[in-house]
Amino acid sequence: MTAAVSAVIVVATLDASAAPTPGPSAQAAAEPAAVSNPSPGPAPVTGVGDDPLTGPEVDKARAVALSPQLVAVARDVTGAKGAEYLSWEIIEGGTGRDAAFYFYDYRADELVKQIVDVTGGKVTGSFRAKDMQLPASDREVATALDLVLADPVGADVRALYTRVTGKSWSGEDKLAVEAHTYRARPADTAARECGRHRCVQLVARVTDGPFVDLNDIIIDLSGRTVVRVK
Amino acid sequence: MTPRLTYLTGAAALLLAVTAAAPVAHAAPSAPPAPAAPCNADSLVKETLPNGTTWQMCWRIHQLHGLVLEKVFVSSTRYPQPVQVLGAIAVAQLNVPYDNGATEYNDITDYGFGGEDLQTLGGDDCKGGSARVGSDNAPEPKRRAALCVSAEPSGLAYRLENPEENKPPLAKQGHDLVLKAISKVGWYEYITEYRFGDNGRITARLGATGDLSPSDYTTSDKGWPIGKGARSYSSNHYHSAFWRVDFNIAGAGNEKIEQYDTKRAGSGAGSAIFKTTRTAVGKEGSFTKANRRWWRVVSPTSKNKDGHPRSYQLETGANDPYEAHPETTPDVTFTQQRACEQFATGNADPQCRTSKTILDYARNAETMTNPIMWVRVGFHHVPRDEDQSPMPVHWQGFDLTPRDFTEMNTLTPPERGSVNGQPSDTP
Repeated sequence: MTAAVSAVIVVATLDASAAPTPGPSAQAAAEPAAVSNPSPGPAPVTGVGDDPLTGPEVDKARAVALSPQLVAVARDVTGAKGAEYLSWEIIEGGTGRDAAFYFYDYRADELVKQIVDVTGGKVTGSFRAKDMQLPASDREVATALDLVLADPVGADVRALYTRVTGKSWSGEDKLAVEAHTYRARPADTAARECGRHRCVQLVARVTDGPFVDLNDIIIDLSGRTVVRVK
Repeated sequence: MTPRLTYLTGAAALLLAVTAAAPVAHAAPSAPPAPAAPCNADSLVKETLPNGTTWQMCWRIHQLHGLVLEKVFVSSTRYPQPVQVLGAIAVAQLNVPYDNGATEYNDITDYGFGGEDLQTLGGDDCKGGSARVGSDNAPEPKRRAALCVSAEPSGLAYRLENPEENKPPLAKQGHDLVLKAISKVGWYEYITEYRFGDNGRITARLGATGDLSPSDYTTSDKGWPIGKGARSYSSNHYHSAFWRVDFNIAGAGNEKIEQYDTKRAGSGAGSAIFKTTRTAVGKEGSFTKANRRWWRVVSPTSKNKDGHPRSYQLETGANDPYEAHPETTPDVTFTQQRACEQFATGNADPQCRTSKTILDYARNAETMTNPIMWVRVGFHHVPRDEDQSPMPVHWQGFDLTPRDFTEMNTLTPPERGSVNGQPSDTP
C-alpha cells in the first residue's frame, strides 16, 4: 500500500505550451488538468485479479506448462524434443491466477494451449488444434531467415541488400527481420500447405536502414522449405 | 476472487484530498468509501478531472490486443457512488489490405500490439502526462513505460446564459482522461487511445502514423502519386479496426441490446412527422448502419434516479465498410460473451476450434444473456504527399455515450440542479 500512497502525492502539471490561451477560457487555465504521476512500485511478485503474470510467475508457470508429456510427444522449430514456446496470457475473469501458455508442436503441426493454475503450479487443461497460427516467436523468425539465406533465394536477398546499400553482404545481422504468419491464398500455386503448415512472410529492413521488399518469399517452417509466390 | 481484493481506501482518500487542493472545491464529504481495488496499484488508474468526475480502471498489455482496460467505473461530484460501465475493452483486429491486390495484413492476430511490438514511451509520446510502467506481455516479459495517462481539455462542456442579470454565463471547460499505448507493426505505428470524458462519454480510437508501405506501389487507378511527377503511385489501402466491448453496467453484465430507427410518418401542420421505433436485439447477429439508426446497450436492472434504465449508446462517425470480406462489412456484431472469442477474425484458440471470426460466433443466433459488442470502423486511406514523413496521425474510432446513466448531466451546476423534465411538471 505504501507505493500506492506515495503514488498520488506526486502531481504532474500540464505542460505550459499545452495550456489554453487566455481570454474567454481563462477560467480553464485556472483549472490545470493534472493526473497523478506515481513512481512505479517494485516489480510485483504476484498479480491481483487479471493483472499480467509477473516475471517470476511466467518462469514458474511456463515450466509447468511444458509438461513432461508434452516434451515427450512434441517437436520445436529446430526439430528437437519439446514444443516451440510462443506466448502466454492471463485468463480474463478467471477464478484465480489462471494463465494460458501457447506452443507450436511441429511434429503434429498443431497449436497447443496449456492452461496453468499458476498458484497451484499445475496444468488444468490441455487443447490442440490444426490450422491455427499465432504470431511467430523470435526463434522462428530467426530460423526463417536462416532458411532463406541457405536457400538459392538467399543469393537474391544478398544482391538486394547490395543494391539498396551499395555494400557487400557481410552477415545476417545486416537485416532486421519481423515476420507474420502466412496462409495460402486461393491463387497460390506454391506454399499451398501454408495454414496447415506453419509459414511466415518476412518484413525486413536493413539494420538501421530502409525496408527491403521480401514479400514474395514464403518460408514454410513445418516443411523447412522456401518458395516464391506471386 | 474475494480473498485477493486489496482495499485502497486510504490511497483513494488521499487522492481526493490532493485533487481537492485544486481550485475546484468538489470533494464531497458524504462520498462513500472507494470500491475495492481489483488490481495491483501499478495496474490501477484512478483520476479525478477538474470538474470532479472520477474514472477508475485497471489496465494491462496483452500480447495481441495490446492495451486492455478492465473494470471501468465512473463517479462524479453530483453522483459520488462509483458505478461500473465496462467489464473490458480492447482492439480486436486490424485488417490492412492493399488496393493493388498484393498483400493483406492482420496486425493484431499476425503480429500483436503487445510484446515486442509495444513501444516504450519516450520523447513527446506522453508530454504533459504520466507514463506508467507495466508488463509488455512478451514471451519473456519486460516491465516498461507502456501506458500514457493524461488529462486534456475537451472544449466547452456546456454554456447557458445566466438567469441572473449581470452574471457571467454558466459555462464550463470540459476535460478528458486519456489513456494510450503505442505499437509498431512493420512500417506503421499505431496509437491505441481511450478518452474518458467528464460527462461520462467514452471514446475509443486508433491512430495510425509511422510511414507508408515502402513496397506497395501501383498504377494510377489504385494509388496516388506521392513522389515527383506522376511516376510512383503509393497503393491505396484499408485499415479496418475492430474493438471488443464488454459492458458490465453496475456490475450486472446482463445487458439487453436495442436498435432504434426513425422513419417518416406523414406530415403535421408545421413540419414532417418522424416516428422512432425500438427493436429488441435478443439474439446474436451482425448489423449495419442506416440513416438515423443507432444501438444501445441497456441494463435491465440498474436505473437512474428518474427510474430510467441505465444505458450506453454506440455512435460511429466516419466509417468505410470493406465489402471484400464478410467480416469487415457489418458495422456492429453482438454475440454472447465467451472467454475464448477474443478476436473479430483470426481467433486462434484450440479450446474452441470452430470459433474463428465474429460470423462464427454469431452463426447460431443464440439468445444473449451477456452480450459482447464488436464495433468495426474502417478507413480507406488514399495516400497524399503530406503522408511522408513521418505520416501525420490519422484516426478512426467511435463514441460510447451515456444515455440515462444519470438522471441529469453529470456536470450540471447547482444553479440548474432543479431542472429535470417538462417545466410544467417541476414542483
